[in-house]
Amino acid sequence: MLRFWPIWVLLLGGLFYWGMQRPNPNELKSVLKGKPAPTFSLPLLEPYRAQYGAEMGIKQGLNKPVFLNIWASWCVPCRTEAPLLERYHQRYKDQVLFLGVNVQDKESEALKFIQQYGLSFPSVYDERGRIGIEYGYYGVPETFIIDRNGIVLDRHTGELGEAQLQDYLRKVLP
Amino acid sequence: MRPWGKSAVIGPLLVIGCWLLASVLAQPAPTTPPPDFSPRVFEIARELRCPVCQGESAAESNAGIAVEMRRIIAEQLAQGKSEAEIRAFFVERYGDWILYKPPARGLTLWVWLSPLLGLGLLGFGLWRYLVRVGAQAKASVTDVSDEEIARLEAELQPPERQP
Repeated sequence: MLRFWPIWVLLLGGLFYWGMQRPNPNELKSVLKGKPAPTFSLPLLEPYRAQYGAEMGIKQGLNKPVFLNIWASWCVPCRTEAPLLERYHQRYKDQVLFLGVNVQDKESEALKFIQQYGLSFPSVYDERGRIGIEYGYYGVPETFIIDRNGIVLDRHTGELGEAQLQDYLRKVLP
Repeated sequence: MRPWGKSAVIGPLLVIGCWLLASVLAQPAPTTPPPDFSPRVFEIARELRCPVCQGESAAESNAGIAVEMRRIIAEQLAQGKSEAEIRAFFVERYGDWILYKPPARGLTLWVWLSPLLGLGLLGFGLWRYLVRVGAQAKASVTDVSDEEIARLEAELQPPERQP
């Protein structure tokens, strides 16, 4: 057995290297992937009530893919991705529902954020982040891609880039 | 005149003692839960990771998500749910990752078993080595011819008995 010591050293070294690799949080798979998205209904932030009603959320019979974006006004990457989400909402609003969930935030700060970036896609208010926990979120921003049947197709952790957004759109659109 | 009377010693000691006691009472122990949650909430939260923190449990962190996790635990305890049911609630949403002591199955099982496997391999290697050394020693004894043994015995005889 000792004759094969270089192989043992390589094997143990490889095992050590593999063990030392910290998982990238962006690659942590959502346990919800492939499962029905948790349903909820939360109060909409004030600017959206006239158009969408008092409450909105994920429920059966939406018949539309949903991009559920969890955000907060204090989150810097949320500021970077907000204009992109708005642009794609304007382009795809007939085919896809972009729904924001404002978590762990002050309502007044959330309203300022919406005004600053001119966000027209609806956002609900979840002060304590309870819905975030229902979806198993790790932080903000995080986007859940839900197909027209209400199944979670994917979860994107961190800022959403344009190429990634297009990839997800290709997945949900016919 | 005695320079230090009894009261002169006890007085300052009492003052220092009171001061120490007051400072200990004024500092809450770091693990003391806030009054709104029972210690049991923190016991359960201690076994759960805070998803947004680095190396902190849901009991230690003051991040919004950890506070909300503690609130959920408190609510579920009030509803009469068991600790296992509460842990299962978080595992359903985050997977086994959320647990500080993940269950021994799949890849985790190998992590639990690896020390035993390592010890087993070490024992096996040692046993093989000892067997080989023993066999070599035995072989070196049996390899000596009768002629050589007789010559050796003759050489070992005391000189007066030699012819």
